[in-house]
Amino acid sequence: MNTNLKISNVTKIYPGCVANDNISLEFESGKIYALLGENGAGKSTLVKILSGVIMPDEGQIFLNNKVLKLKSPIDAKKNKIGMVFQHFNLFETLSVFENLIIDSNETRENLREKIQSIMKKYNFSIDLDIPVLNLSAGQKQKVEIIRCLIRSPDVLIMDEPTSVLTEQETIELFSSLKQFSEEGILIIYITHKLKEVMSICDEVAVMRKGQLVSVSKIINEKIETLANKMIGQNLKTIKKKISNEKSKEQLIKISNLNYSSEDPFETNLKKINFEVNRGECLGIAGISGNGQSELFQVLSGEIVSEKDSIIFNDNPIGNLNPQERREYLMAFSPEDRMEQAAIPQMKIFENVALNNFKSSNFFNNGLINEKKIKEHSQKILSDFSVNTDNVELKSQFLSGGNLQKLIIGRELITSPELLICFNPTWGLDVGAINYIHETLIKINEQKKSVILISTDTDELLKLSDKICVIYKGKLSKIMNANEVTPEKLGILMGGGEID
Amino acid sequence: MIIDINFVGLIITSIMASAVPLILASCGELITERSGVLNLGVEGMMIIGAISGFALMTVTGSLIIAVFGAMLAGVLISTIFAFLTQTLITNHVATGLALTIFGIGISAMIGKNFVGIPGKEFPVLFGSLKDAIPFLSPILFGHSIVFYFAFALPFITNYFLKKTKIGLIVRAVGDSPDSASNQGINVRLVRYLCILYGGAMCGLGGAYLSMIYTPQWIENMTGGRGWIALALVVFSTWNPIKILIGAMIFGGLTIIQFHMQAIGVRIPVQFLTALPYIVTIIVLVVISRDSRKIRLSTPSSLGKSFYKDN
Repeated sequence: MNTNLKISNVTKIYPGCVANDNISLEFESGKIYALLGENGAGKSTLVKILSGVIMPDEGQIFLNNKVLKLKSPIDAKKNKIGMVFQHFNLFETLSVFENLIIDSNETRENLREKIQSIMKKYNFSIDLDIPVLNLSAGQKQKVEIIRCLIRSPDVLIMDEPTSVLTEQETIELFSSLKQFSEEGILIIYITHKLKEVMSICDEVAVMRKGQLVSVSKIINEKIETLANKMIGQNLKTIKKKISNEKSKEQLIKISNLNYSSEDPFETNLKKINFEVNRGECLGIAGISGNGQSELFQVLSGEIVSEKDSIIFNDNPIGNLNPQERREYLMAFSPEDRMEQAAIPQMKIFENVALNNFKSSNFFNNGLINEKKIKEHSQKILSDFSVNTDNVELKSQFLSGGNLQKLIIGRELITSPELLICFNPTWGLDVGAINYIHETLIKINEQKKSVILISTDTDELLKLSDKICVIYKGKLSKIMNANEVTPEKLGILMGGGEID
Repeated sequence: MIIDINFVGLIITSIMASAVPLILASCGELITERSGVLNLGVEGMMIIGAISGFALMTVTGSLIIAVFGAMLAGVLISTIFAFLTQTLITNHVATGLALTIFGIGISAMIGKNFVGIPGKEFPVLFGSLKDAIPFLSPILFGHSIVFYFAFALPFITNYFLKKTKIGLIVRAVGDSPDSASNQGINVRLVRYLCILYGGAMCGLGGAYLSMIYTPQWIENMTGGRGWIALALVVFSTWNPIKILIGAMIFGGLTIIQFHMQAIGVRIPVQFLTALPYIVTIIVLVVISRDSRKIRLSTPSSLGKSFYKDN
């Protein structure tokens, strides 16, 4: 049966922002549609309307030419509209099976059978009786997808599905999506990643600042044209110049660094050895969960190690905590912006003050020098083009990209010798990614160094001078970036060997 | 010294009796907390239950009306808490503390006229079997229906949470109200009901004190049991069976230290009085120290207000 989903003149207004301005779109089953836009373009609002989480102020939705009133998520489910949210809607402490049975009316046995047959059909393999918090992001997403499939949906909406997935998991997801589409499920795919749109979608609708900019067939589009529509200006492509005359002056040397954790869900680090010279960027690639976060914590001092295992600027610093390491002019940008890098409930200037205790004069005799901090914050906001000039704003109201700019800006104010970043552009839109990339290149040009731990291979190839791969807590040999190809990295990331 | 086996049986019985109000209140609060609501008003709800039960018993003469009336009183006072925290989105901690203070005050006011009035005898079940078997009989038989209910409650609660759909929904709401709401679960309704249920159980626990355990009204007669019940919930890591263990240890040490004081053991009284609190917490912490299990049974959204954006 053919499914036809129509959005007609939908408007949703939030205080101070028009999230959806008179949007009209039409979808037919058998195709994969992309809804493309930067963060804050209004994509998520639109899919929340489609899934019944929120109601539009104006406009209507038609399913097979019948008006659809979606007052709650239950209405969407009843009308066979399935939704996989960007932030998983799973209950972490409940088992996979409990998560699936909670909104089902079937008996345990029937449901279990149904789940098993779905998993078999689409080649998923998940233990149904372990708590969700023990699953990887990719597995969690599969649970969400199974939850939709149980209801044999006509429409499946995926909101930024790949932002938490590894390359391999992304490939798996795409083949599943194609399979669903062939079976007649209408798929709406929300993303800001252009490559994905080009590779799996048939048609693309671009949104910008709450408005629909264009609807077109993929075969008529190119990455560049889509990018320009998405950000509304011409995007420059950046590429780092790898100069051959690098200084051989060593900045940081890690030797024989080990870390073994008591937590069975962490990865042990085995005999990590590498060094980074001044003005260099060392990229560390790998599929997430192979020890990156442990490595970041060891490098930043959240986990201390033996004194001599880390030599920075000729000082042994392995046993120092992050604050002490900052005094030696190291800076850190952790992966999770909201949880680790900033305190969302605190104001921008308070967050700026947080990690500059000694070397700045933000504090006099234990008192906060608010004026000074605010001046400084103001400077960060303008230097790093954060889209607000209000230092009193709570950090949680910044978008991911702006928060990341703020964090990087904060880290760079002490003009550190070394910046260690972990997935700095995770979940950001193209404009913000470009900005962060330019900033990192600029750091290298100023003869400062960067250690970039990232799961984004393109990013690593773009920015690194030297690249290695972390796999199961071990580092591969360190290669020059111009000798590395994505294929080579892929093999190493999967645990293979290259000569 | 010859230990009379029947005497030991009596001690065990009195330990169990003193654990009853703790078990009732804790199991009620456990359901409330499992749905993500932290209600610190347990003491207040218990004392309201105590005075309501006693007053209704004295006025109406009906024990059934008194018991259910006490539960209803618990429900009513917890409705205030539910309305404030769920509808007006006030802070759980502050509202709960206010509820306790309010409960203690209003119970003292109502209770003025009931001080010194003797209670009624509460009927017991299986009274005829009380002397059938030495040692075991006094433990098993001849108790009020509330007593039996209290000892069944942890197992019922456990079954409810683990095996029933509604129990699953309660846990889901406590784990992630946002996800639950996106799944179409009415978070506010679930939380309301869990709060009211907690109120009913606290009311019953209070009524047990004033009607069965020490059948009379004394101002402030709950004497901090509400706080112990709260502590039991947390230190048992939201596990009803461990609540039973904790309540028995607490009740046991309370009784035993009385006897030790009576015998004249040369340990400072203050230490003996403090003993039940310290030991109960230590034991519960030790038996619940598996961090993975703690992570799994702690309601992640505990004490956090839930807003639904439209």
